[in-house]
Amino acid sequence: MRNSFTLLVLLLMCCWVPALAQDNIVSGRVTGADEGMPLPGVSVTVKGTTTGTSTDADGRFSIRVPSNDAVLEFRFLGYRIQEVRVGNQSQVNVTLATDTQQLDEVVVTAMGITREKKALGYAAQEVQAEELVQNRQPNLLNAMQGKVAGVTISSTGGAPGQGANIQIRGINSIDPNRPNQPLFVIDGIQVNNSTSTFGEGAELRGMSNRLADLNPDDIESINILRGGAATALYGLRGANGVVVITTKSGQKGEMRVNFTSTAGWEEVNKFPEIQDTYTQGYTGEYDPTSFWPSWGPAWQEARQIDPTHPEGIYNHFKDAYETGNQFRNTLTFTGGGEAITFSSSLSHLRHEGVLPFTDYQNTSARLNTEVKLSEKFSTGGNFNYIRSGGKRYNADRFNEMLSYWSPRWDVQDYVKPDGTMQSYGNDNPIYAAATNQFEDDVSRFIGGLNFSYKPLSWLDLNYRVGLDTYSDDRTRTAPGPRNVADERVLEDNGQGFVHEYTTKFRSINSTFIASANKSFGDKFNATLRVGHELYDEHIKSFGVQGEELAVFDYFKLSNARFLSSSENESDYRLMGIFGEASFDYGDFLFLTLTGRNDITSTLSESNRSFFYPSASISYIVSEHLGLPEFINQTKFRVSYAGIGKDASPYSISSGYAPYTNFPTGYTGVTRAPLLGNMGLKPEFTNTFETGLEMSFLENRIGFDLTYYYSVSKDQILNINVASSTGYVRAAINAGKMRNKGVEVVLNATPVRTSDFNWDTKIIFSANRNKILSLPEGLEEVTYASQFGYVGSTVTMKLIEGQPYGNIYGSHWQRYYGPGEEEDPLFIDESRPRVIGENGFPVRAPLSSQKLLGNSQPDWIGGFTNTFTYKGLSLTALLDARVGLEKYNQMDNFFAAFGIAEYTEDRNQTRVFEGVLADGTPNTKEVWLGQGVGPDGVNYGDGYYRRFYRGVSENFVEDASWVRLRSLTLRYSLPQPWFENIFIRNAALSFTGNNLWLSTDYKGFDPETSFSPSGSNVDGFSGFTYPAVRSFLFTLNVGF
Amino acid sequence: MLAFSLMGAVAGLQGCEDYFDKENNPNLVTDPPLPSLLSTTTHKTGINSYLVGNITSYFVQYLASPSQGGSSDTYQVTDYTGTWDALYWAMADIYDMRQLAIEQGATEYVGVANILMAYHLSLVNDMWGDAPYSEAFTNMTLTPGFDDEASLYDVTTQLLDEGIAELQKPDSKVQLIATSDVIHGGSVENWIKTGYALKARQLNKLSGTSSYNPQAVLEAVDNSYTSNEDNAEMGVFETRNPWSAISLSNASLLLGGWLSEQLIQHLNGTSYGVFDPRLEQLADTTASGTYVGTPNGTGNIGPANNTVKDESYISRNSPLTGDESPLIIVSYPEVKLIEAEAAFRAGQMDRAFEAYREGIRASMEMLEVAEADANAYLSSAAVAQSASELTLDRIFQEKYVVTYLNPEAWNDARRHDYQYANFTLPEGAAIPTFIRRVAYPSGEASKNPNTPDVTDLSAPLWWDQ
Repeated sequence: MRNSFTLLVLLLMCCWVPALAQDNIVSGRVTGADEGMPLPGVSVTVKGTTTGTSTDADGRFSIRVPSNDAVLEFRFLGYRIQEVRVGNQSQVNVTLATDTQQLDEVVVTAMGITREKKALGYAAQEVQAEELVQNRQPNLLNAMQGKVAGVTISSTGGAPGQGANIQIRGINSIDPNRPNQPLFVIDGIQVNNSTSTFGEGAELRGMSNRLADLNPDDIESINILRGGAATALYGLRGANGVVVITTKSGQKGEMRVNFTSTAGWEEVNKFPEIQDTYTQGYTGEYDPTSFWPSWGPAWQEARQIDPTHPEGIYNHFKDAYETGNQFRNTLTFTGGGEAITFSSSLSHLRHEGVLPFTDYQNTSARLNTEVKLSEKFSTGGNFNYIRSGGKRYNADRFNEMLSYWSPRWDVQDYVKPDGTMQSYGNDNPIYAAATNQFEDDVSRFIGGLNFSYKPLSWLDLNYRVGLDTYSDDRTRTAPGPRNVADERVLEDNGQGFVHEYTTKFRSINSTFIASANKSFGDKFNATLRVGHELYDEHIKSFGVQGEELAVFDYFKLSNARFLSSSENESDYRLMGIFGEASFDYGDFLFLTLTGRNDITSTLSESNRSFFYPSASISYIVSEHLGLPEFINQTKFRVSYAGIGKDASPYSISSGYAPYTNFPTGYTGVTRAPLLGNMGLKPEFTNTFETGLEMSFLENRIGFDLTYYYSVSKDQILNINVASSTGYVRAAINAGKMRNKGVEVVLNATPVRTSDFNWDTKIIFSANRNKILSLPEGLEEVTYASQFGYVGSTVTMKLIEGQPYGNIYGSHWQRYYGPGEEEDPLFIDESRPRVIGENGFPVRAPLSSQKLLGNSQPDWIGGFTNTFTYKGLSLTALLDARVGLEKYNQMDNFFAAFGIAEYTEDRNQTRVFEGVLADGTPNTKEVWLGQGVGPDGVNYGDGYYRRFYRGVSENFVEDASWVRLRSLTLRYSLPQPWFENIFIRNAALSFTGNNLWLSTDYKGFDPETSFSPSGSNVDGFSGFTYPAVRSFLFTLNVGF
Repeated sequence: MLAFSLMGAVAGLQGCEDYFDKENNPNLVTDPPLPSLLSTTTHKTGINSYLVGNITSYFVQYLASPSQGGSSDTYQVTDYTGTWDALYWAMADIYDMRQLAIEQGATEYVGVANILMAYHLSLVNDMWGDAPYSEAFTNMTLTPGFDDEASLYDVTTQLLDEGIAELQKPDSKVQLIATSDVIHGGSVENWIKTGYALKARQLNKLSGTSSYNPQAVLEAVDNSYTSNEDNAEMGVFETRNPWSAISLSNASLLLGGWLSEQLIQHLNGTSYGVFDPRLEQLADTTASGTYVGTPNGTGNIGPANNTVKDESYISRNSPLTGDESPLIIVSYPEVKLIEAEAAFRAGQMDRAFEAYREGIRASMEMLEVAEADANAYLSSAAVAQSASELTLDRIFQEKYVVTYLNPEAWNDARRHDYQYANFTLPEGAAIPTFIRRVAYPSGEASKNPNTPDVTDLSAPLWWDQ
């Protein structure tokens, strides 16, 4: 039908052209650069005339032009205006590039309210589908990396399905157990993005953040509201920013089908440098059964003792990881008529990780519909069902076991024919990954209904109710001993176990908004909105742990000798009543005032209801005053907002929890770990923000500058307390914290021709945090610590006047002469180290814990370049995070076990630079090795074990990085190819992620984190699931 | 319309005022019955005796690390945060049980709480010296101060005296429940005896100080245990006795629980000339049918590698360390040897001799040694045959066996200045003398700025000068 219609048009054209000799008829087709889909309704005009038309449902047009010199102008909302000189062509096919910087743009703001971007008195940056799917990241959060100013997104590791962390404008909240994550709203429904660590050891298994359930291909746009006035209407749940996600909706017209398939492989993008000289043993003595992986002699020496010793030693870190792969297929259908439109999709992802035996699958089905019942009443629904999960392994244990594993032995030889572990003595990490399993299976439904009624021309009533519910079933298993000869049992497997865990989550979110709009005269316009919102969340988790299996690999609870249980339940309720009044004058001055009152279930009755306001102004200078022609737009904005925040559920209560170390038949209770605090008050964050947006030279250059300053006071946090208090944590309102920073977005189109475009975008943001005060009586608040050998444990703590993210630990003693005072917090690197009488550097007493680094970056930046030539486009995203430090626990172990490359100097003699206690230079020569040195002195465990590994200073490293986050080459197949077949459009693309990384960090990629996603503890990057470099091919076909 | 909706919302809110009342955590109990704390505290007490014993047993060389340079073996500054935390969290429960019991007039529970608290305090005090107590567990402060080690000793003794007095009061408003008391099965009488046994330990600990009063020790002994039936022991486990769990893991080559060369030589005749039949009840023979210990600090001496069972380990066949064996907190044989020592120091040689022999006999009984073997040992040269042959060394020699794996062994070793036959510094010792204390754990130090900075593990505690 469609083809015969095309034929008819062509025939008609053939007939017409000779008849109109003077005027030319030009026809063609307009498509969008983002997906190569035809664009209907594009305005096509002959420049300088009133002649114009618009494209049909297929994106086709035909227009009469006066001469060959005529220039056609193509305009479409959300796309960049494009001009094409006709010349002697009769066929003009145009691809319009999306334009994210136009002020006329409409954006989805708080509560699903769409507003013109120019009216916004705060920063808002949208990410469109095109940008989002560029790097083909399975996790939606990772897909936004490097694309939005003020937003730090970190993949906590490269495991399939592993959680990603998002921070907007730094850390606002001190409590590591109180995620600093923004609120996620999908099509108006608040959805859960927690990372559940329910289940023994789950916090180290790289569990997914729940947003990873979503298919990035379903997303139309994401708008990130960065706090203050932008999020004020969302109330306290939006206190850390709000990510407003809009999924693809249906379009009127015939049904369209789109199929996207991505396949590719991945590998570890960075391995630590390890020594390749020394083999198994201790004090330089070879022992092929020794626990000590590499304190033996050089392998050549060992080979003379043991001819079975391989020639050289293995690089067990590289050997233990393999090549991963992923496949994702998405099929979407859209269409609709006058009354009903719909969009639906089906997708499946299968992902196998670089760490053996880890994988993840995701199956998702979505339906979005919109029904227009009358001019006044419409309703719609969004439904998404997801099933996700996979095998997770504990990367922390994997790398720890790898550190114990001697490179004298092939780690890939991990299993004996009888199925038990192959090992010379120490645990084999691959065997562990193969047998010690943790698998999650999430079944989730997100659904929402909205009703819109417009009884009067100036009044809009909108009601939306949403449900996010899932069950998360987790099974943790390990086989017991098989009781065969010479069996070695993996320590973590013990006698075998089967643990079953289930979490049921349900949140209901209801929002009612009434909007009234009134114009006064022709310049003054006012909109008043009032609304009511309710959020009701219930979480119930329970688990049964069965220990010691009778049949070693029969993973049923009834096969376990001992059973124990764990359970947890939580209810959370929040209600808000809010109002917004916005006024605009002359289309250049916009004022918005908001207020919201929250009532929360987590604070005591006297503190649970609280109010906070916001105000913002947007002034479009360019609309008001005459500016030089080269300036297209100038907008100035300023806002102020207060936002309250409540406590986590049950922070106000203490009590007794079940004592779980009894066998069945006994019960008891024990003090619950948290010391609750009835007196907790809401915390408040006050944010001031101002910004300037300008664009020049026909919008070819533009920038958006933002400065913000926010202070959070009376922070609610659960601090870790000394066990001598009888508690593990205590809830307190702890002082004040400040964040201030700048955000810059710079867009430019250095080259714009009809065939070739070069677009570039730079984002830059810098945040400065400071703890202004701590509660009385507390000098510091320790919120995290990580183990290091013999005194090198580091802690992250809050100290007044210092920023969040500081890492403290032990340090080398520096020399201070008589009368010189030592700063208790900062290391004076200019001073010489103190060398002991034994000739080795001296560690300062452990009571002196100094600042060794800070985990929050000085600045982050993204630099995107897109080159488009006809149907071919190349996009490169450079991503940088600079000026941060992390504790490398892996390197601490590497020093302790002689794995680090720098321990190759172990058999050298050296005079340590520094001074003796009396200030005179050290001249004593010492041997770095173990046992008796060449000078006859017994050096015991040697320099690295006796001294080096015990000083935290050695292991807190610069974790800055710059990377080629993604490189995408995309080719849209020429439209003419599809004129006569059922395919409408097709594109092929290649994506490389993490192709290049530059960092001084010694471990794996320092973006990875020991802590699960959602944690505010980001200072530890040692035994993590390494990040990956991936190579992906994508085919996109439209029917 | 708008106003109507708003009114509806407000009315809805008022209609369910308690909709937001979610103050009480549904996962917690706010008002626990005393027996539910008794079960927890008595269980934790047993487990904590193991946790501390699993540290001190390396110092007194009952156990040795299979690896060279084990940190506890060689007196390195080792982080015992886990044990410290377990002790303090147990004391918090004991403290709460005591407060609740006082409120309810449940004197029996007050008495038991006092005794359990005293036991915990002595464990902390004898490992670390100064420790939080007067400001601990009370919600007064998040950074409790550290009390002086000698004052903690006094508090411990006082807690025992008061505990015994409370237990002797009639008409406790709530009575001990057998199934909730996993140490004495609800026997007030036995709790009183345990109070005295701990008091005897406590008073005898002062043997090296000027305030030592052997008569007071003997008085406490008189009120204490009269047979192994009375022993304070805890035998309820989630899976199995933790020593047995170590043994089981070791059998699967997750190495641990290796017996020290010192212990083996103490028992196999090397040090004292006579084979002690109790060795057969503590350890299994090696693959070659003998008993071989591992020297502390040296690790596996072979001759074969770790997979060959040519050393002696904690045994699951032992009455002390089997799957269901109870953990011994304080025992009748130990009390008899305390009596022997106190009587000896008081010059009551006959009483000392009697107690000494009874202690050995009771120890044999506890270990289920065949009577003939026990008698043979008792009449051997390894054992004093008359009061005149009795020496303090002999008493300590026997007590070393009786307190196998018990934390009290380290107190004895320090009081006896480690003067056991053939007792030597571990290979690669980090300090030049025997260990006298342990360093404060990082867990407390990092969160409580009052934590003293102790790094010299050769510095003796106040009673050990």
